[in-house]
Amino acid sequence: MANGHSKGKLALGLSAVLASSVLLSACSQNNSTSASDGGSEQAGSLKIEVFDRGNAPAGLTASDNFLTDYVKESFGQPNNIDVEFVPIPRSEEVTKLNVLMASGTDVPDIVFTYDSGTFNKYAEQGGLTDLTPLLDEYGPNLKAFLGEDTLKYGQYEGVQYSIPAKRSTVGKYASFVRQDWLDKLGLPVPTTTEELYNTLVAFKEKDPGETGGKVIPLGMTIAPGQYESLIWSFIQPVTEQERFELTQTLSSRDYPVLLPGFKDAVQYLNKLYNEGLISKDFALDENKETLTQNIGSGLVGAFSEDNDNIFYPEGAYDLLLQNHPDAVLTAIDPYTNSEGKHAKPVAAPNGMYIMVPKSSEHAVEAIKYLDWMASEDHLMYIQNGIEGEHYTLEDGVPVAIPNLSAESTNKLMGGGDIGIIANGRIFESQEKNNEAFVKSFKPDYQDIIAKSLDISNTDAIEPVYTSRPIEAESKYGTTLSEKAKQLIVKSAMVSPAEFDATYESMLKDYMGSGGQAILDERKAAYSEQQ
Amino acid sequence: MGYARYFRRNWQMYALLVLPITFFIIFKYGPMYGVQIAFKDFNFFRGIGGSEWIGLDGFREVFANHDFYLTLRNTLMLNFLDLIVSFPAPLILAIMLFELKVVWFKKLSQTILYIPHFISWVIIGGIVYQLFGTQSGMINNLLMSLGFDAVPFLSEKNYWLITYLLTGVWQSAGWGTILYLAALTGINKELFEAAEVDGAGRLKRILHITIPGIKPTIVTLLIINLGNMISIGFERPFVIGNLAVREYSDVLSTFVYRIGLESGQYTLATVVGLFQAVVGLIFLLAANYISKKLTDESIL
Amino acid sequence: MSERAVNIMSKRATNIRNNKATNNAFDVVIIVCLILSVLACLIPFIHILAVSFSGTVPIASGKVTLLPLDFNIEAYKKVFGDAAMIRSLGFTVFLTVLFTVLCMMMTVAAGYALSKKDLKGRKIFMFIIVVTMFFSGGIIPEYILTRELHLLNTIWALILPGLISPFYMIILISFLAGIPDALKESAEIDGSSQFGTLLRIILPLSMPVLATLSLFYAVGRWNGFQDTLMYITKPELYPLQLKLYQMIQNSQVSDLMRMEGNAISTVVPESLKAATVMFATVPILLVYPWLQKYFVSGVMTGAVKG
Repeated sequence: MANGHSKGKLALGLSAVLASSVLLSACSQNNSTSASDGGSEQAGSLKIEVFDRGNAPAGLTASDNFLTDYVKESFGQPNNIDVEFVPIPRSEEVTKLNVLMASGTDVPDIVFTYDSGTFNKYAEQGGLTDLTPLLDEYGPNLKAFLGEDTLKYGQYEGVQYSIPAKRSTVGKYASFVRQDWLDKLGLPVPTTTEELYNTLVAFKEKDPGETGGKVIPLGMTIAPGQYESLIWSFIQPVTEQERFELTQTLSSRDYPVLLPGFKDAVQYLNKLYNEGLISKDFALDENKETLTQNIGSGLVGAFSEDNDNIFYPEGAYDLLLQNHPDAVLTAIDPYTNSEGKHAKPVAAPNGMYIMVPKSSEHAVEAIKYLDWMASEDHLMYIQNGIEGEHYTLEDGVPVAIPNLSAESTNKLMGGGDIGIIANGRIFESQEKNNEAFVKSFKPDYQDIIAKSLDISNTDAIEPVYTSRPIEAESKYGTTLSEKAKQLIVKSAMVSPAEFDATYESMLKDYMGSGGQAILDERKAAYSEQQ
Repeated sequence: MGYARYFRRNWQMYALLVLPITFFIIFKYGPMYGVQIAFKDFNFFRGIGGSEWIGLDGFREVFANHDFYLTLRNTLMLNFLDLIVSFPAPLILAIMLFELKVVWFKKLSQTILYIPHFISWVIIGGIVYQLFGTQSGMINNLLMSLGFDAVPFLSEKNYWLITYLLTGVWQSAGWGTILYLAALTGINKELFEAAEVDGAGRLKRILHITIPGIKPTIVTLLIINLGNMISIGFERPFVIGNLAVREYSDVLSTFVYRIGLESGQYTLATVVGLFQAVVGLIFLLAANYISKKLTDESIL
Repeated sequence: MSERAVNIMSKRATNIRNNKATNNAFDVVIIVCLILSVLACLIPFIHILAVSFSGTVPIASGKVTLLPLDFNIEAYKKVFGDAAMIRSLGFTVFLTVLFTVLCMMMTVAAGYALSKKDLKGRKIFMFIIVVTMFFSGGIIPEYILTRELHLLNTIWALILPGLISPFYMIILISFLAGIPDALKESAEIDGSSQFGTLLRIILPLSMPVLATLSLFYAVGRWNGFQDTLMYITKPELYPLQLKLYQMIQNSQVSDLMRMEGNAISTVVPESLKAATVMFATVPILLVYPWLQKYFVSGVMTGAVKG
């Protein structure tokens, strides 16, 4: 017995020693190469943040792969700039950036965030470089690429403290219905809210999918993709001033809580819930997992969703077809407002905020880098890879070559995270952006995606633009966006008789937790602007 | 006894303490200057030292926020219920295992019982929804097929409390038994033999020998638990909680996450942290004092 | 033998006989309770196992419960075929062993000294330590300290800040307090130094608690990854749990990723996640069965008698 133990221990000890020596040699090797790289020539240097999603294929990392090498070779070497990528875990993006900023050193020269609150905070605290003069001197291509319209979203009180990335398409939402169910019941495609309601009732009563009573006429969650289309269709037309004053922008999203019609929207949701027409557990489904399962299993009759979400490989539509080969979805635009329009929100034209910390000594190189990316076909290369290997051009639009080898796929790794100046693929015109977007999906889906994209841009409600940030919004944004959702959930789930009381008490809580402060500040900001 | 002589006799004890105390001073007290963020308008770029003093403004802001009181109440409530439900569970389980005479089954069940401790909350969350969902959860499917109404285990606040507590017991009870099992090995076996000969029943033996034998461990854990009454982990309430039951599932840690870290307001986060620390320390000292008076056991 | 003695003897015999019957009932109750508990703990584990062997469609449709559907072992092929995963396992084992050994040395040193109730200054030391259970400086000063000590991107950043858990130390103290003072004193009278008493008397008597605390430290280190997110950017120093965490987080933000313009091929299949959970969990699960041999009753009894 005793012998056995010591043998076990010996083995354990040995493996530990082995592991440590492997580790040590790995470390020392790395050190020596990086030292010789830096020391040999007098070069400018540039540290660039890159998201580490922990999904790099074997042998590659977020900061060392085919595309980072490409940047080093075609931007770094010709300009004599030593480029280094600094990985930041995607999930801890803001936390880690905050810590780096507060610790003063190790901050990359180019950092970015999707969080407008974080950008505003950094700008307000005086930690960012004013990029206007640098853009004029070193960024002609970048300026042309983004355009004034996008660039203004990167300003803080009129100063260009960040470069906003450009979004290729702004449309967000479409709705879908089971065409095969409609056909079976001999129903028309719903084109108004009322028609949709009748369709849902028919789905519930006649259960055309033969789900054994498990049918979910309208798939619902508490994610914006599902509830926003419905809610915004109840919002009444307002003047520009009302729109500015009554909208509440919380965590980069416009909430219509104070706009006229919001209560009717929630009451309608309450009606649907109590009549058993929407998912019972919608309040639990913040990440759409249950919805995807239910659509895939053929339980859902209709639903609203992001215009692209269900079409990705192994997404909801793929699942549905695998489980029910005869199923057919049609893209619809059913919700109508008081003017008969299909109003729905679209995204702002900007994506992430790219910033250069004030402490950086390489602001010039930073702008040069972004300008390089916007020039010639560099962004095209980063986003799409090599022509002939990864894509072919059809009418100037790249179409991905299917079934790439592992080696080729690996070359594309991290493209979206390195091409930081764009969200989605961007070409000379919006039509081409759209076309490229549609063509990035598999041929079977391209028709319905084109339609869904079209629907998502119909009667668009653009986000309210404020030239100076509303302080109360950055302060209470996270709390209030949560409260707004809570209001929707709680008010929707009570019995119709209790609706008014619940809604009013939740609204009171909302106003008291910062809603009123935002309203006051917005009113002041509007009269200031005049 | 003079100090010099005392020290000469006991220098080895102090020598043992040198490294540990150095550790605490460098790694725990070293960063403690960060506490001053609570009294400053924290600016990322000026750093902790360079930010402006604002006195108690941060505290005023936190204490004026009514969500603070709601989350404080929920934290205390959930911890208190956990103390009643989850604290005795590992003890009972450990005693059952200890009483069990079938050695292979004993070892096997010990090993299986502590598995849940190793499954992360994100994954547990997914499983909980699959089990307890109203519409498609397995338990409700079963209930409905038996002709009962579906039970809103997750979306009605009182049912949610039960789900929350049971999940906690499930996740931690097996893990908690390990310490008790270690403590049980220290009980003198002759006591059991004597009791058996005297005709004491199993239950009597458990009450008069087993539990008193591990009383120091129970009391130690109880005191530490009481000290932690005001702090609560982030993941469990966050993952099991949802929008429909926020009035119970919103706790101090989720509150801090929301107002402090997500919005970059480190001042407010530090204020709440400092409040929890002070109250927690007071709770611990009080529990320790009471325990010393009542049971003569204490940890300090 | 007197009549009275015989009476007592027969009484004891009946006692034992009566107890036998209730004993059996008692055992049955215990076994039933334990079997139910064991099942409750095992089912989720089996579920994850089933998912790891299942195909994408049944998983995403929510059909997999306890048995794999569309059985395949692709996920495991991928996990075991990933050199970075295997290397990460090696690193995690090394890190956990080193961490546990150092933690135990420090904790035993502090715990033994502070278990001497009459040690002068004990209260002050205890207070210094207990305060750190509640007060901390926060992540920013901790990051700065780690950087100033040049620990960033080294294994020591994952070891040194966690060397002693005050909680575990207090548990150790409460166990050590249970060792009769007579034992320590008799050793010291025999001329043993305090170090000697610790090594020869105290440690051998404390094997169950030492094994328990080692397990606690090891599991804590094995499951911990938050510090890695802050202190480590070198992939060679990524522990398994970090890889697992990133994988799970990724699928949580997959919606975001699409918005962010990433190719969808980066979404991790559920089966791969489940297989990675298995890969990262099973090794540490095996530690406890191996430690169980130190949980032997009666070590102390024998020692006191001897």
